[in-house]
Amino acid sequence: MNAVSVAEPDDSSAFPVSCRNLHKHFGIRKVLSDVSLSIPSGAVLGLVGSNGAGKSTLIRILVGLLMPDFGMATVLGEPALQLTDAVKMRLGYVPQQPQALNWMSVGNMLEFVGKFYPSWDREYMGNALMRWNIAPSHRLEKLSPGERQRVALIRALAIRPEVLILDEPASALDPVARRDLLREIALRAGESGMTVLFSTHIVSDLERVASHVCFLHEGRLLLDTTLDDLKETHVRLTLPREAAATFRERIPGEIARRRRPDGGLTLVLARNADADWPQAPIAAGGVLDTPNLEDLFIELTDQPGAAWFTK
Amino acid sequence: MESDELVVQPGSAEPIYRQIAQQLRRLIASGRLSCGDELPSVRDVAGRHAINPMTVSRAYGQLELEGLLERRRGKGMVVAMARGRAQTTQRRLQQLQPLLEELARQARELELPADSVIENLRALWETDP
Repeated sequence: MNAVSVAEPDDSSAFPVSCRNLHKHFGIRKVLSDVSLSIPSGAVLGLVGSNGAGKSTLIRILVGLLMPDFGMATVLGEPALQLTDAVKMRLGYVPQQPQALNWMSVGNMLEFVGKFYPSWDREYMGNALMRWNIAPSHRLEKLSPGERQRVALIRALAIRPEVLILDEPASALDPVARRDLLREIALRAGESGMTVLFSTHIVSDLERVASHVCFLHEGRLLLDTTLDDLKETHVRLTLPREAAATFRERIPGEIARRRRPDGGLTLVLARNADADWPQAPIAAGGVLDTPNLEDLFIELTDQPGAAWFTK
Repeated sequence: MESDELVVQPGSAEPIYRQIAQQLRRLIASGRLSCGDELPSVRDVAGRHAINPMTVSRAYGQLELEGLLERRRGKGMVVAMARGRAQTTQRRLQQLQPLLEELARQARELELPADSVIENLRALWETDP
């Protein structure tokens, strides 16, 4: 069922990005709770969560900028907190609000950074600056947040990374630039095996390019699977009020339930691809429908009083 | 055909690879794509729609298994000859072979004439969804 986390617990080196049992508090606030994740090579993993779900914290731990209270993360086989220069050369990371080297001009900064990377792709850099309308002579600190994020994306992609980690990359991009970025991510992952993790609260971005998807909610991973499996193996079951009493207990395959104001129940069910859906609730007047990703995310996360059954 | 002719709806509950496979099946069934027609490359479809190339490969791969497409050296994917499709019907029929043999055996044991068994099978075929 868990297509992402198929590895043995200690086999982290087989995955370009991986973490085990991460916990993190800020003061008394628990931000991450027992998060484990393994991203296979060439996968594009979309990390979906509302604002404040813990996405940025998870990403900062994965790239070694933040120490977890417990648990451990690895990138390309090395502990995230002790990445060597050799691995950093193969890792592209774009934070939500890039600040580095702000006193330089766009062109100077990219020239400067490019010298450190043998794999630096000047041609890509030049084309992307043009397509995304950024003048190389402008100083970074004078740019809008969106432009600064575009420069940071160009910088991360021009090193031709093996692993690319993006924190809400699409939030500051206009639709054309966003489509450009998604195309670049999709083609590089599919053709050169680049492994990608990007966080987003815009589900439609993810649905185009992601091969895998994770829902992060209140610091916990609710779901991680391939996107195709997610769509093919999950349904929503709506039970009328009269039938709700009959199904007090968890039914086979149920992963979430909530009681509707009218007294009925809405359940999310998962199954193996070749199995049938349980017949009893349908006989009792239940209706099955196939939710799209956004529906599913809302069913699983945005419901007061919802209960989950994870792994 | 061109990549533009495919419609991709990322927000649909149906996985994208299925959307693509289903459209191609329809285009082939209706004759809008015919034997030997070239399909756009995986890269072209993926780039045009900003989708994962693996998704496109999966759709093409499935139709190849079904015998609707075939990989041609230097040309990429083309629509397969109808003969190729007949062969897959043959192959699918082979999967039924054990059941058919069992049916024939039991019918003989019950001393039923073949015609009435076949007639009953046909009636079942036409009533069952």
